[in-house]
Amino acid sequence: MNLEKVVFGFFVVLAATLNFGFFLGDIDDPALHNPYELFAAVVVNLIATVLKFGDRTQIGAVHLATSLVAVLQLIAATLLFGYATHISSAGMNESWTASVVSLSGGALLANIISIVLLVVETVSFHRG
Amino acid sequence: MGNPVAALVRRLAGRHSEGDRRVRRGTVRVAAASAAQASATVFLIMRRMRAPLIVLIVIFAVSVLGLTLIPGQTADGEPLRMSFFDAFYVMSYTATTIGFGEIPEPFTYNQRMWVTVSIYLTVIGWAYAIGSLLALLQDRAFRSALALQHFSRKVARLREPFLLITGHGRTGELVGRSFDKLGRRFVVLDVDQERIDRLELGSYVSDVPGLAADARDAGHLAVAGLGHPCCEAVVALTNDEEANLTVVMAAALLRPELPVIARVTSRTVAERMQAFGNPSLVNAFDRFGDHMRLALRSPAAYQLKTWLESGPGAELPERGTPPASGRWVVFGYGRLGRELTSDLRAEGLDATVVELAPTDADGADLLVGDGSDPWVLAQTDLDRAVGLVAGTDNDTTNLSLVAAARRSNPSLFVVARQNRPASAPLFAAMDIDALLVPTEVVAHEVYAQLSTPLLWRFLREMPGMGEEWAQQMVDRLTDVCGTRVQTLWKVRLTAQDAPAVESWLATGEATLGALMRNPEDRSDPLHAVVLAILRDGGTTLAPGEEFVLRPGDELLIAGWAAARRALSTVLLVEGVLEYVLTGHRVPAGWIWRRLTAGRRRSDSSSDAARGRST
Repeated sequence: MNLEKVVFGFFVVLAATLNFGFFLGDIDDPALHNPYELFAAVVVNLIATVLKFGDRTQIGAVHLATSLVAVLQLIAATLLFGYATHISSAGMNESWTASVVSLSGGALLANIISIVLLVVETVSFHRG
Repeated sequence: MGNPVAALVRRLAGRHSEGDRRVRRGTVRVAAASAAQASATVFLIMRRMRAPLIVLIVIFAVSVLGLTLIPGQTADGEPLRMSFFDAFYVMSYTATTIGFGEIPEPFTYNQRMWVTVSIYLTVIGWAYAIGSLLALLQDRAFRSALALQHFSRKVARLREPFLLITGHGRTGELVGRSFDKLGRRFVVLDVDQERIDRLELGSYVSDVPGLAADARDAGHLAVAGLGHPCCEAVVALTNDEEANLTVVMAAALLRPELPVIARVTSRTVAERMQAFGNPSLVNAFDRFGDHMRLALRSPAAYQLKTWLESGPGAELPERGTPPASGRWVVFGYGRLGRELTSDLRAEGLDATVVELAPTDADGADLLVGDGSDPWVLAQTDLDRAVGLVAGTDNDTTNLSLVAAARRSNPSLFVVARQNRPASAPLFAAMDIDALLVPTEVVAHEVYAQLSTPLLWRFLREMPGMGEEWAQQMVDRLTDVCGTRVQTLWKVRLTAQDAPAVESWLATGEATLGALMRNPEDRSDPLHAVVLAILRDGGTTLAPGEEFVLRPGDELLIAGWAAARRALSTVLLVEGVLEYVLTGHRVPAGWIWRRLTAGRRRSDSSSDAARGRST
């Protein structure tokens, strides 16, 4: 067992699961989407991205690309969230919630691709 | 030369044979291996930044999360939780030590405690991340990887012919400087980082890509442009014979069609180099011996040769008069002494050799002893000698030998060897008749071979023309151009390079004297001398005014830089050519040409009438 692989797999899967948890629920209901969950998703996605730095293989490059997409989408979602709560006069209403959640949905897609890559890599690994 | 469109056309038009392509692929592969090595280092650096970055992210996340969870208070005592944005804002300015204070509301004691903890955490995180980043930037491997990438990008972008010079010592620098003055590009490879740094201080006109790397590595050679289609020659000038041999080998195996020039000192290495293709080898001592023979036989030819070889802007050297008969004393029977003794004897002169250790002097008189010993010096009977060679590998010994010998016989012709560049002023003050500086001999030879192939032919064929011819040539050059050769260039009379003269050349009455006129005032000749003309593989040295030019001729010309510009105008602009040949000013524009055409016809008819009447 390789500890590096364990940590890597852990963060990649955790990034996707946290993202999924935030995404789950009615898209326009702010009560169903916890900001702490979004925060955790951003942090774990950032860590997963940094873990993918410096891999020279083709699959490593795609891994990094998907993570970058996820991080970009999630940061966009947090920016929207901050705008809605602090600047917008309407506050965190249904349309703002829908925008934030749909952005995180895009990030979820990228995270799923990341997991598919992880699975493909594991399955195609032959011992000896 | 620097035209990118022309370069593109040349590339598109260039057809490569199958073998050529295979060779090119070989060098590309070698270069790719070297480049991959460089990018591997960059990836390693990225890997090493992982830990600091993750530490920073985690510390930030924990502190921000803590701030949002800890309850605060408004000014009125209402409970208030910080939003994520507020918390991130506070942590950002706290962690970066900017410290705006307690925003948006004054903190409670709970919050202050947490912020105290997180200040220490985040400052450590930042210091760790920035510290490791700076350490990586200082990292030797990282810096050399960056330099390699930068260098290979620069070389790959070169779109004009360039030389690949390995070794940027004294010789390399001299060669580079002469080629830079000619406006030619070159790429430098040297083991020593200091010498590469000198490239930037060297104030060359063009940008010179340089890499501090071992030339013995074929990958470095490939990155330096060995596989580049614009590479026109490889010059191996390092101090290391083995490295030069490796460069010759690599060039011969990877790019067999490229000309290679290598500096060599020992005969065994020279023979090993000869096994690879046909490299041109320059042995400083050997060449100096040849020069001495030429100087003995024909001082003016030697003067002309050294003048033209010294590169653009060189001053006319003094013409020495080595004694053509008598006895020479040679101090030091090393590589130089051996070479010169055999050359002197081949010219029918006697030589006495003085050497520390008893050796086989090959039939010459041998005196075993230390040359600086007065007793030994007295034994050599300098009073009746005509020449002296101070050829040891120690500058102090050479200088003191020359001084002692001059005291006993001031009329001696003195040949001395200068080993270190630092001794140059001392040797200059001594006023040596013929000074050997090995680095300069090699540099001049390389310049002569590579500047233009015509100059090389000229210099090789010139000694055969005799002393009188050489004297006339030197006089002619000094008359026309003064005591400095400003520039030396080549002109090709083809439709592409000289479109204006094409029809004139076809008449068969195109004389050289008619062409070499000043386009401002045709009664003045151009300040330039045609040294040689190449036609169908044969050369004509120093053609006269009546020489008839033909299409396709190649001219080697020495003269002022202004003359070069003037001549190129004559060759390109028909109106200027017309003026130079006939004295008629032809307008450049179509309308004026139409208007003046009628007038000129009447002029010439009246001229003709006058001619008939007289």
